Amino acid sequence: MPEDPKDNQRSRAFRPLGGIGGRAAAATLRPFTDAAAVELEALLATALDSESVQRGLRSAFESDGGKQLVADFFDSGLFDEFVDRLLASPSLWRLIDEVADSPAVTAAISQQGLGFADQVGEEVRRRTRRADDWLERLAHRLIRRRNPS
Amino acid sequence: MKDDTGYIGLVTRVVAVVIDAAVINLVALLVSLGAGLILSLFHIGSVLKDVLIVVGAVVYVLWTISYFVGFWVTTGETLGDRVMRIRVVAADGSRVKPRWALVRIVGAVLSALPLFAGYLVILFDRRRRGLLDVMARTVVVESPNLSITARRRARRRALEAEHYIRSSDSGDERVAFVPQP
Repeated sequence: MPEDPKDNQRSRAFRPLGGIGGRAAAATLRPFTDAAAVELEALLATALDSESVQRGLRSAFESDGGKQLVADFFDSGLFDEFVDRLLASPSLWRLIDEVADSPAVTAAISQQGLGFADQVGEEVRRRTRRADDWLERLAHRLIRRRNPS
Repeated sequence: MKDDTGYIGLVTRVVAVVIDAAVINLVALLVSLGAGLILSLFHIGSVLKDVLIVVGAVVYVLWTISYFVGFWVTTGETLGDRVMRIRVVAADGSRVKPRWALVRIVGAVLSALPLFAGYLVILFDRRRRGLLDVMARTVVVESPNLSITARRRARRRALEAEHYIRSSDSGDERVAFVPQP
């Protein structure tokens, strides 16, 4: 159906008013929605902390039906498709590049590398010090055997 | 028996020398490779080639001597010593003087000549000294230096402590927090 130009003009004229009304409604309701979100969060936390809910979830995961559900999910190819799409997404690689280049990550890697080298060095030093003592004991024993006096 | 466990025995010292030899030869190899590539651009007669080989050998010996003498005189630790955390010092604990470092190099060569017997003395000496140490009046001891990571950690803690003291003095509670290791 062709659109009436008059209607179109009217709606364009009322659009700013609608925007103002929407913002006013959102501002008015914000305290309520915030309070509801906090309540919901607390409710979820309490529910997840509850022993009976945890027991129920555990038994659901361990049941044959739960296992079948997980197997079906993987067999459906949905997960493979998700991974394929994720890997094809340039945003993922951009994110990986950003994370890999971040100073915190490079500092952590270098720190870990140095820590590992230090650990290896410490072990080598400990062993060579022990070998020092062992070789000397051996040399002294050999000398004593040659000269029993 | 030894009178002090701070003196370093034969095995540790051999490992340190092996690391030093690897470093010296790696550098010599890279330099000779570079020199060889540059010289390959020119036509060099056989006589000049022999001369260059002799020059190369002399440079190699000088490089080896300066490597050891340089480190013993300045820090008391070659790179291998640093890895093994050992240090060459004069018998009185002071830094090795250049002339004694040169004597030690000569002693090292002399110790190796009779089938390394000069080094076997380390096994029987009270202060774990080889012939080279006796000649140069030196001993090899544990290095008090910290490892690279330990040094970094200590530096970071010192900075944090300094920051803490400064912020405590200024009374700023927000920056007075020091993260626990």
